[in-house]
Amino acid sequence: MGTALTVEIRDRVVPRRALERAFGWLRWVDRTFSTYDAGSEISRLNAGDLGLSEAHPLVRRVLARCETLRAGTDGYFDANAPLRGGVDPSGLVKGWAVDVAFAGLRRAGARQLCIEAGGDLRVAGGPWRIGIRNPRRRDQLAAVVVLRNGAVATSGAYERGPHVVDPYTGRPPAGTLSVTMIDHTLAQADAHATAAFAMGPRGPVWSARLTAMTILADDQVLLTPTFLRYRA
Amino acid sequence: MRRALTILALTAAAVVALARFDTEPPRVKNPLSALHARPARGTPSALQPGSRPPPNRPGVRTATSPPMATPFSLVQVQVTLTHGRLTGVETVALTGDGPHTQALNARAEPILRREALQAHSARIDVVSGATYTSRVWIKSLREAIDLARRG
Repeated sequence: MGTALTVEIRDRVVPRRALERAFGWLRWVDRTFSTYDAGSEISRLNAGDLGLSEAHPLVRRVLARCETLRAGTDGYFDANAPLRGGVDPSGLVKGWAVDVAFAGLRRAGARQLCIEAGGDLRVAGGPWRIGIRNPRRRDQLAAVVVLRNGAVATSGAYERGPHVVDPYTGRPPAGTLSVTMIDHTLAQADAHATAAFAMGPRGPVWSARLTAMTILADDQVLLTPTFLRYRA
Repeated sequence: MRRALTILALTAAAVVALARFDTEPPRVKNPLSALHARPARGTPSALQPGSRPPPNRPGVRTATSPPMATPFSLVQVQVTLTHGRLTGVETVALTGDGPHTQALNARAEPILRREALQAHSARIDVVSGATYTSRVWIKSLREAIDLARRG
């Protein structure tokens, strides 16, 4: 994943072993799904050194879920798009791994919990006040949402440059600066934010029934009806 | 990838400290007063490995993270803890190569610093839509806090 990750637990000290287990899990995911590490299962699958049937059951499950998401997003969430001639499930893996770690910490007794990974987050036991960064004016937040339980993911063209491409054109989408999605799980929120962002002008229409905030290049901010409920 | 693992490990250490720290009652009446007591920023000698100078006042700890690199810039953060609470954040080094990066950093840095203090005051708990610089900056912040707490 190559992402900085914070766990904040407000209500009590969770057993150190539970935290170690959560971070151990995240390290395992990193080792297994990395597209940078030539020895990871994903790299070996892409190199043809590992057959899909020999892959770890969780690798197969993640790839199957990528396919489901691809179908559910009109092909805009596409694990085959980022990497020419190979599969890159990174767009799902981070959210999914955080969801699993989150569930583990909840089982260990954490009630007021926030896991943030590279600007995407999952919370429980709120109210949590969550600032949504304005993609154009970094000294401002575009919105503040209050969330008790759930996930928030933002996809956009940030200073790192465009790294989400429209799988149909191979080019970064035009006209949209960022898409923020609220959902029950981070895997879902993140994948949907990525897909809606990749859709460009079609994104707001596609996400109308979801809980989404889209910031367009002309500074218009589009909120879906359900998103309005979360505004601070 | 080894680098990513280190981040996770360091974060784990910081988390335990944070979880414990939240149970302590706040002892600083005016956190902003500590902001004025910080050393001057931006000297070229700032780019040194992470350090922990001896505390000059009881209960006050200062630490500087090691310089960390983004593909665009170097980031180094200094924090001041007063009785374990975050009372000052200083970006002692933030460099970039191209004019683009410098322009972005010039805007990003004061915001990030304000957010750290805001987050402390619980007005905003967390920010969605982080940038590359902010990730590294937050990492530097955590390292500095970690160093200060261990000190």
